Amino acid sequence: MRIHRQSAFISMVFLLLHATASFAFAGETDPNVLLKAIDDNLWSETKSIEGHLVIDNGRKERELAFDSWLEGREKGYTHYKAPPREAGTKMLKIQDKLWMYTPQTDRKILIAGHLLRQSMMGSDLSYEDMLEDTKLSSAYDAKVEKVEDVDGFPSLVLHLVARDETITYQSRRVWTDPQRKIILREERYAKSGMLLKKVDFSGYAPIKGRLFPRSLTFRDMLKENTHTTYHFDVIEFDVPVPEKYFSLSILKR
Amino acid sequence: MIPKIAWKNFYRQGLRAFLNVLVTALSIIAIVFNISLLNGFQAQATRNMVVSDVAGGHYLAPGFDLLTPTEWEDHTRPVPEVLRRLPHPEKAEILVQQGQIFPRNRLYPVQLRGVEMEQSLLDLPMDALKSQPAEPGDYIPAVLGTKMAEKAHLRKGDTVVLKWRDRFGAVDAREIKVVDVAYFLNPRIDEGIVWLRLDHLRDITRREGEISWVAVDRYRGPVEGLRFETVEELMADLLSMLKQDRRNSRILWTILIFLAGISIFNTQILNVFKRQKEIGTLMAFGMEPGRIVRLFALEGVYAALGALLVAAVLGVPFFTWFQSVGFDVTHLKETTIPVHEKVFLDIRPGEVAVTGVTVFVIMVAVAWLPVRRISRLEPTAALRGKAIA
Repeated sequence: MRIHRQSAFISMVFLLLHATASFAFAGETDPNVLLKAIDDNLWSETKSIEGHLVIDNGRKERELAFDSWLEGREKGYTHYKAPPREAGTKMLKIQDKLWMYTPQTDRKILIAGHLLRQSMMGSDLSYEDMLEDTKLSSAYDAKVEKVEDVDGFPSLVLHLVARDETITYQSRRVWTDPQRKIILREERYAKSGMLLKKVDFSGYAPIKGRLFPRSLTFRDMLKENTHTTYHFDVIEFDVPVPEKYFSLSILKR
Repeated sequence: MIPKIAWKNFYRQGLRAFLNVLVTALSIIAIVFNISLLNGFQAQATRNMVVSDVAGGHYLAPGFDLLTPTEWEDHTRPVPEVLRRLPHPEKAEILVQQGQIFPRNRLYPVQLRGVEMEQSLLDLPMDALKSQPAEPGDYIPAVLGTKMAEKAHLRKGDTVVLKWRDRFGAVDAREIKVVDVAYFLNPRIDEGIVWLRLDHLRDITRREGEISWVAVDRYRGPVEGLRFETVEELMADLLSMLKQDRRNSRILWTILIFLAGISIFNTQILNVFKRQKEIGTLMAFGMEPGRIVRLFALEGVYAALGALLVAAVLGVPFFTWFQSVGFDVTHLKETTIPVHEKVFLDIRPGEVAVTGVTVFVIMVAVAWLPVRRISRLEPTAALRGKAIA
């Protein structure tokens, strides 16, 4: 009986401490500053990524290996290497336009305007999602909503509201780790408030002074049993990217 | 004198003459049937398209192309005053946008088509939407066609998530409720389309007062900011298909006429060959070769006339009966051809007359061609039956 009381007391103290820390956590943090720090951690001048993409549509799983080079927020080039069916497929993004090259047709196709909203290669991402080049801190106003545990750690939940009517997702909710200045989870909402997408960030590892997630899992909440995971096997920041990678002439065999 | 002899000769041919007449008559009936069926098909398709979609033409937003869904959002316009002021029986405002529904958590791209509820120009089964309030409530009411409902596995009363973009590109999603599953005469406005109230669609996409096109009862002259497409332009694909069908039917027409012509041609050759002695005798009695040719040709004319008569005798009851049952085209239900389950003949007197006259002229020509050689026969050889080897 005594032991039982003791353990209850310890639990209460622990909870109290946890709540106090959480409130302090929530009270001290400026959400917009935190968002800016998160962006600074994620974004760099240039990036080169070697990775693979796993698309699970609930019935079948496909894995695509790719190499990507990114410059700022406006230029990106991805070359798919496997499987054989997708090998040689290339995507070039310059500002709001995306060109796709498939070796089967030996043609480059401009994916622009509303085509960008279609599902990318059957995944849970649209081309637009993939090309997203908006820094959260510049597109959204953040408010601290609550403190919530994510995998046993307290996380500060921010509610983001778009500053501009043209932003695709007018609101988001991000689960952040203010200490490490990273996002652990993200939810993207329709204007009506309906949850559309969930993104899980995992496997954070230090790379050149940054903490970068090794994998991102996207879930389209309007579909059932589907998810798409980006695995970043090799990431390099601020590496020189040959100018030819961002030229239309790269889109050929 | 000659007509009387020709009639006797024709009559004495018996079964051979009757079969010639019958084959030609059936060919005429088949040709008229074929042409009239195509007419009926075209008339029904056109009527269905006009009453349900095309009306007297569309004033479209420049650049709008129904076959390019990815650009629908880029080509909308406010309704010009001149069209907005038209009474409801004379115009129907339409707004078309892209959307995605998620029946059973599967993505299904759809066309969101908003139509104004007050319009009476187009015959659309929108009664269930008319009774809905102008502001969407907890759900957005929608009407689906039977084909669309079947493909999306939705029934009346079901709710499903609809995702779309507003005019600024922001993504939005809400539940829609299927308030009715209706039968559309025209499959082109059924499959892949979610019908909404125009005010609702404008509200959720923030496109107040905008349209993709305005259907009108007739051309109202040039309207600034919009381009006009005629009924023929809007139905170009269907008309082109029917035009091709008409071309194909001409091939059938030619084959039938050829067969009937061969039959008469063959009979005439046989007549000249078998009746050499008769020809020789007529020549010996002093009948000029030209008159003998006319005599034989006249027998062909009687066959052609007989064919027209038999075609009328057999054709009239056949066509009367056919009009009571129609031609079953239920197999076309799965296509986008806007016809009912049955097609009826559209018999045009002018076309029947042209067909009859054409067949008659061709029959007379093929009856005359083989008997021309009579004028070159030697009377003595003909009397012995050895003028033609």
